[in-house]
Amino acid sequence: MTLLKITDLSAGYGPLRVLHEINLTVERGERLAIVGLNGHGKTTLFRAITHLVGWQRGSILFDGVEIGGQRSLGEGRKTPGIVRLGVAMTPQGDAIFPGLTVRQHLDCGAWSKQAWRERAKRREAIFDLFPPLRKLENTTVGTLSGGERRMVSVGRALMTEARLYLIDEPSLGLAPVISQRVIAALREIDVKDGAIIIAEQNVTLLDGQVDRMIGMHAGRLRGDVGHVELG
Amino acid sequence: MTQPIAPVFHRVGNRRHEFTLAPDGNRDWHRGRVPGLSRHWLKWRGGYNPKTLQRERRLADKRPLWWLIGLGGLACAAPMLPDTLLQVAVVFCVFAAINVIWTLIIGAAGILSLATMAVVGLAGYAAAAANVYLGVPWPLMFAVGAFVGLVVGGLLALPSTRIDGLYYALLTIGVAEICRVSISQIRALAPQNSSINNVGSFIPQDWYLQRPGLLLGFATAFVLLLLALLLFRVINSERLGLQLQAAREDEDFSEAVGIDYRRARLHVFLISSAALGFVGAYYAMLYRSISLNVFSLDQLLLMFAMIVIGGMGRAEGAVIGTAIVVVIDRALIDLGPLRIILIAAVMIAVTLTTHHGLADVRSQFRGWRHRIRSERRAASTRKGGEVMPEEATEIADKQLIAYRRFDRRLRDRLKEMVTPELIEQHRSAPLGPHSDALARVLNYFRRGEMPDKYAILQEGDAGAWRYSVMALSGEPGKPPRVVDDRVYETRDEAYHAVFLLRVNDLLES
Amino acid sequence: MDAALIVYALNLSAIYALMAIGISLLWSSIGMLNMAHGATFAVAGYGTLVLGNALLPLVEAVFDGWAILPLLKMTVLLLSGVTVGALFGGLIYLLGFLPIHDKANFPVRGMIVTLAINLATVQALLWWFGPRQQALPNVFGFGRLNLFGIPLRYDQAMTIGATVVLLGVVLAWLRLSRKGLEIRAMMQNAEGAALSGISVRRTALPVVAVTGAMAGAAAVLLSQTVYVSPGAGAMPLIKGMIIALLGGLGSVPGAAIAALLVGTLEAVTGAIPFLGQRMVLVVQFGFIITVLIIRPRGIGGLLSETRK
Repeated sequence: MTLLKITDLSAGYGPLRVLHEINLTVERGERLAIVGLNGHGKTTLFRAITHLVGWQRGSILFDGVEIGGQRSLGEGRKTPGIVRLGVAMTPQGDAIFPGLTVRQHLDCGAWSKQAWRERAKRREAIFDLFPPLRKLENTTVGTLSGGERRMVSVGRALMTEARLYLIDEPSLGLAPVISQRVIAALREIDVKDGAIIIAEQNVTLLDGQVDRMIGMHAGRLRGDVGHVELG
Repeated sequence: MTQPIAPVFHRVGNRRHEFTLAPDGNRDWHRGRVPGLSRHWLKWRGGYNPKTLQRERRLADKRPLWWLIGLGGLACAAPMLPDTLLQVAVVFCVFAAINVIWTLIIGAAGILSLATMAVVGLAGYAAAAANVYLGVPWPLMFAVGAFVGLVVGGLLALPSTRIDGLYYALLTIGVAEICRVSISQIRALAPQNSSINNVGSFIPQDWYLQRPGLLLGFATAFVLLLLALLLFRVINSERLGLQLQAAREDEDFSEAVGIDYRRARLHVFLISSAALGFVGAYYAMLYRSISLNVFSLDQLLLMFAMIVIGGMGRAEGAVIGTAIVVVIDRALIDLGPLRIILIAAVMIAVTLTTHHGLADVRSQFRGWRHRIRSERRAASTRKGGEVMPEEATEIADKQLIAYRRFDRRLRDRLKEMVTPELIEQHRSAPLGPHSDALARVLNYFRRGEMPDKYAILQEGDAGAWRYSVMALSGEPGKPPRVVDDRVYETRDEAYHAVFLLRVNDLLES
Repeated sequence: MDAALIVYALNLSAIYALMAIGISLLWSSIGMLNMAHGATFAVAGYGTLVLGNALLPLVEAVFDGWAILPLLKMTVLLLSGVTVGALFGGLIYLLGFLPIHDKANFPVRGMIVTLAINLATVQALLWWFGPRQQALPNVFGFGRLNLFGIPLRYDQAMTIGATVVLLGVVLAWLRLSRKGLEIRAMMQNAEGAALSGISVRRTALPVVAVTGAMAGAAAVLLSQTVYVSPGAGAMPLIKGMIIALLGGLGSVPGAAIAALLVGTLEAVTGAIPFLGQRMVLVVQFGFIITVLIIRPRGIGGLLSETRK
């Protein structure tokens, strides 16, 4: 069963084209990693799926619903709708709310009615996933360290169950120990019939954590590496 | 018998309708300069037409022409207008002058001050009072007005360095109200409803409100507008204006290169305030009286509407906006309160559709067109288009772009032809006969550029030749380099080695 | 300072707070400086006049002779003012926010559009209702009640009480509800909010409506003592704007404190013989300029939370 089917997706910012006719299919229950160097379009791919790039063309079929299309203005306008379809994304740079506490932050992620009702329970689940956050519950996020912010950002995405998780650069700017913990926490996520896509530069971190790896180079997906064991 | 076909010439290019002069290339080119300055009157640019290679000269900045047409038209038409319209023209000139100076404060200095009418009014009151109560002759009223404007401007400028833009703007709205209240407190003026009447003027008493008086009023108001525009030009495009422009782009950087932008702002603010004071004195003389209406909030909002409709920060915007609002407000006077609603509707329509007012529509349209075009170009780039769009604009010879694209597609096709069989075929018979596919591949290789082209080096003695592969440097005087240390026994082996290297290069590209 | 002065000061402060907090809230949540707040005030006044004239006889007929009749009447008036204010807020949202909120130069353009709305509305009211000042039905009369020895006019008591309740409700709504959380998230990081499923367009509408409702409430409460007229919104707008500035644009507690300060200052200035009512504005401006020169970010600068 296909969850996400991207056909001929091109996207960019003004005169700059970053993605070149990307084709990608993600099955349900899949853990996928997109690996590639900085500036080769991993983030842009995620942002195109959530309509946050300057312009985009091409079809993105999410669970049978078309969320792509041709667009050259209004970045971010459709994003809430796409999120509400069940796409959760942790962006690069975390997009945190500096003045809110960790707890309020997590509550923000609980957009669905059910998630909001049982938000206390879900917060507990996030705290179990990221134990260091538990004692920071009432601290404002603006004062947290980079690793803690990343955890908050990932935690916010996990508050409402999504069908597609897009995790952008979970290890960027973090100490190796912490990034391993974040990756391990991602491994814990129960994707059920959804899928998770992780964009990452550091291939060794993903060793054994994903089902499939796809390389990204110069705005194109290069080769399905399949499951790789890296020593 | 066939008719000879007459050649048809089409004008091509982005600006094919643009008017150009065709000067004689052998004659010297003289451009007039403004007396006393090194500036030219008009921005003529010379060049060669890239297609016909003929000398041509074009006006790079056509705004002076539009100014000439607009203001010249007004000046010519005014004497023929009926009295009511002539008064509208006078009001337009005076308000346009105020708005141009105000634009200098808002746009050039970047101080969002809404105290314009307060300065005008205070200076007008001071000048009128000096004339009526102290007996100062009317020519000196200008000096009084300018001086009061300078002083008031200085007072207003004090907090402007400390308080943020928006805060300052809202504070200055109140200044006019304070002025109104303070002046209404003056007991001496109370019998005349706080206005000063019978002010001395450049318009003789018996001409007042007569046709010659109106014409004189228009002439002076027109000169006032020209003076305001001159002031705008002198400040905005000369040293002070450039400093302020630098500060608008990046405050920290301009400070780092030694621009004291705070001081420049203060200077512009003071100069503009003095100019506004001058206009205030003129205003009092033009109507031979001044009343508290100058300070009314409605008047201020109307002036603001003018600036907003035209676009903040540009003299043409101030003038266009003033023209629109004054025409609606004064010429359509039958409409009653509907006028203001109409002005507000224009304001909303302009603000919703344009980013920076009407004067900016052209550049907004160009920006939009550029965005659409660049996006379309970027989106339609061939798979792996060899030239990135942003690079393409910098390559003057567009054939190069086409060639690279062609080359790329050729390589893609040739790559598909390279198969193990093809390589085997070449190994068995490097010099032919070749199949069609191999011939095509080899033809492509032969056409390659000289740098890094491979060559075979033959060494040793007859009967025991040794062959190795070299790569040419492509530069005269620079020797070829050895590619690898492999040595081949026969020439055919070497041929094939070169072929393999080239195939490798092709597949990697 | 006698007790009546304190009551007067509180009364003024309450109305200023309603206006200023509306402006401040709108600025901090959606980045729009609402210059049409005064128009909302005036429109709500007239709306209450029309609705009140239609509804009050009905209420009187149904609840004739009940003890709480004045209170009921006041509630009807307040509700109609709030409704009209909220509806007008919706109009401002449609015209001044929706088309341009993600376009270039939005803060300035939003301010200009709302200013134009203000201009047009005042003229439209003038055209429709004429320049005559009209009084809202005075439901309480001019009776006084004695609260702990302080003489309190009914309408003053009502104004202060209603403001405190209204502000309390709005602040609690902002602090505790999910919408409040969404609003704060939106103002701190628009992209993060979008990725949390918070739509700027959907969240902005209730904010604009609520601030409009606050202006409507202020209009009804003030009209108990002052008349309804087309230009009635100008002074509350300017005062509200300036108090919002003094409080530090965007800080709700700052605006509340500033309203209290300015209201007291106005009452006191009016009471001092040689200054008098006419100098109130001058004194206020002097005070505000002084504060802003000392603290360029207003009172809210003292209370501000981390904001990037």
